[in-house]
Amino acid sequence: MTYTAGIDVGATYTKAVILSASGAVAATALKNTGFKLGEVSRQVFEAALANAGLHASAITYIVATGFGRHTVAFADTQATDLTASAHGAAWLFPNTRTILDVGGQTMKATRLDPQRRVKSFRLNDKCAAGTGAFLEKTARYMGYTTAEIGALLAASRQPVPISGVCAVFAESEVINQLSLGSAPADIMLGAVVSLVGRSVQLMKRVQMEPEFTLIGGILRYERMARLVREQLQTDVNVPPPDLVQHVGALGAAVLGRRRWEKLAAQPAEPAPRPLAPDAAPAAGA
Amino acid sequence: MFESWRGKPLEDLLYECRELLEDTSFPTVARWRDGGGKVAGHFQVYFPEEIAHAAGMLPFKVRGAPVEAVRADSLFGSYLCSILKTSLELALSERIRLDLFVTHPICDAARNLAAVWGRNFPHPCQILYLPQNANAAAAPAYLRHEYGRLLRLLEPIAGRRVSDADLRASLAVYNRNRALLRELYRIKRETPWQLAADEAYVLVALGGLLRREEHNQILETALALLERRTNKKQDRIRLVFEGGFCEQPPLDLLRVIARSCYVVDDDLLIGLRWVLEDVPLEGDPLRNLAVAYLENSSYSPVQHDLRKPKEQMLLQRIARSGAEAAIIAAAKMCEPGLEEQAGYAQALEAAGIPYFIGEFEEKMSTFDQMELQLQTFIENILFA
Repeated sequence: MTYTAGIDVGATYTKAVILSASGAVAATALKNTGFKLGEVSRQVFEAALANAGLHASAITYIVATGFGRHTVAFADTQATDLTASAHGAAWLFPNTRTILDVGGQTMKATRLDPQRRVKSFRLNDKCAAGTGAFLEKTARYMGYTTAEIGALLAASRQPVPISGVCAVFAESEVINQLSLGSAPADIMLGAVVSLVGRSVQLMKRVQMEPEFTLIGGILRYERMARLVREQLQTDVNVPPPDLVQHVGALGAAVLGRRRWEKLAAQPAEPAPRPLAPDAAPAAGA
Repeated sequence: MFESWRGKPLEDLLYECRELLEDTSFPTVARWRDGGGKVAGHFQVYFPEEIAHAAGMLPFKVRGAPVEAVRADSLFGSYLCSILKTSLELALSERIRLDLFVTHPICDAARNLAAVWGRNFPHPCQILYLPQNANAAAAPAYLRHEYGRLLRLLEPIAGRRVSDADLRASLAVYNRNRALLRELYRIKRETPWQLAADEAYVLVALGGLLRREEHNQILETALALLERRTNKKQDRIRLVFEGGFCEQPPLDLLRVIARSCYVVDDDLLIGLRWVLEDVPLEGDPLRNLAVAYLENSSYSPVQHDLRKPKEQMLLQRIARSGAEAAIIAAAKMCEPGLEEQAGYAQALEAAGIPYFIGEFEEKMSTFDQMELQLQTFIENILFA
């Protein structure tokens, strides 16, 4: 059996998905990205191979995506996060028309056409408010780790208003709320509510239409999806927990499969003609 | 003039070459002049460097630079292209010191550059009039005469007479250079994963900064090292880049393009590669050089030759390089480049070849938007 692989080198995590020819997810893997992008992409790929019980020779095509996609020297080609996420989300939920991707350092809203092509997109460029980093910073200001965010959200009762205009200024807001006696869990929920508000604004700017699919590491927190549902007043698709962070990598593997099938159907690669100068045609020709 | 590349592995050699190319103090030109040599600066696009070389001068390609045009901005309007102003700025700020400056009437702006330049510097400033009508029967004789005029201008500056033997020796050096550049472009065409667009550009561009004997040595070494390179071949779209004939795109833009696709042919610095094959060494060297310009040359939006309809030449370049698509770029405010875009787009549309249209400026520093647009264009082809 042949397999394709997708490697998503994100700003915070690097993910890999191995997809079988029948379209089943054979394995996934995930690691902190750190700063040696080329190395970590190789490690994550090897971890995914080990999880699938496969040798690298079984992988016919590899697509790299994410901000560090160009560092994956062993990939066959690269795809932008937007295209990979679109194909990953539509693979899981074929009627997806709008995707909200909340990652560690970016938030993206994308609208697709029925053929899964990207019609419109918006990014929260150069701003941490509205990303996973905003929640991580809020947790850190209160003395909690990223791993504790889920438990904090589960314990919250009433969100404390956080403006969410700036991740840096949020620190003073958090300290102010703590000094007023607000519970850390409620402050955390306030940060998520703020993030959801920004997310919905971004989705409006791409002229969102259903079905909605939410992806990215922040969707690990069930509360996030629930708040988006409340704001949109409609249902939203959320990938299963084991894939929610891997949708970009999954989409890359899907694109790899598509490309591999196309190449396999072609007779042979067109070779460039022998070297010939750009000479002018003969006079009068 | 440039020694730091010697004895180094390919990656380090390319690094040294890139450092030299991006050094806006032009150290090789300064060293040549400090050593008593004379410098003939010539503006884009084509200049018969062999003549200045035969006179013992350093032909230096004046092609602008990513510098702030502090003084030149006051001499040219804001509606003019950047290369015009930054080229002048290089001289006004004494980053380069010339003994002669030659420009060409490739566009109104470049024609006016001669007048402005001439008023600001003591060294001679001339316009070299390449034939307006390359198809005319008198064109070779006319251009031979014009090259003779150039030679007579150069001799007193160089302080020596230039014989036919001198000219033939220079033609031989440049013939070798042409052969090496053809080999470099063969690698781009046939194994583009071994030579990225920005790397090839650096290797070509050094020819405008060095005597060609030295450039030949660098190319010979780089080509030998490239033969041993083992980069992985990726599944990428093969593209032709068109629009780099005069103002040059920033090196970082070429790097961004090279990350997403294989640029298998281009018109970058086409003036340094204008003559396509060897110029004969027998007979009158100036006439041979003139005939080569007219009969054995590439194409650009600033040469008007009815035998070389540019749209057809572009389609030919795409077919010969096995490219699947094209980037049709133009420098901001570049009239010839922007005018040609329309014709190119129409021809590509008719031929069913996907194309990407973009604008650049030598001082561009952010490429995120263009990269995203270009990659989306590529993905539409790759994953269709």
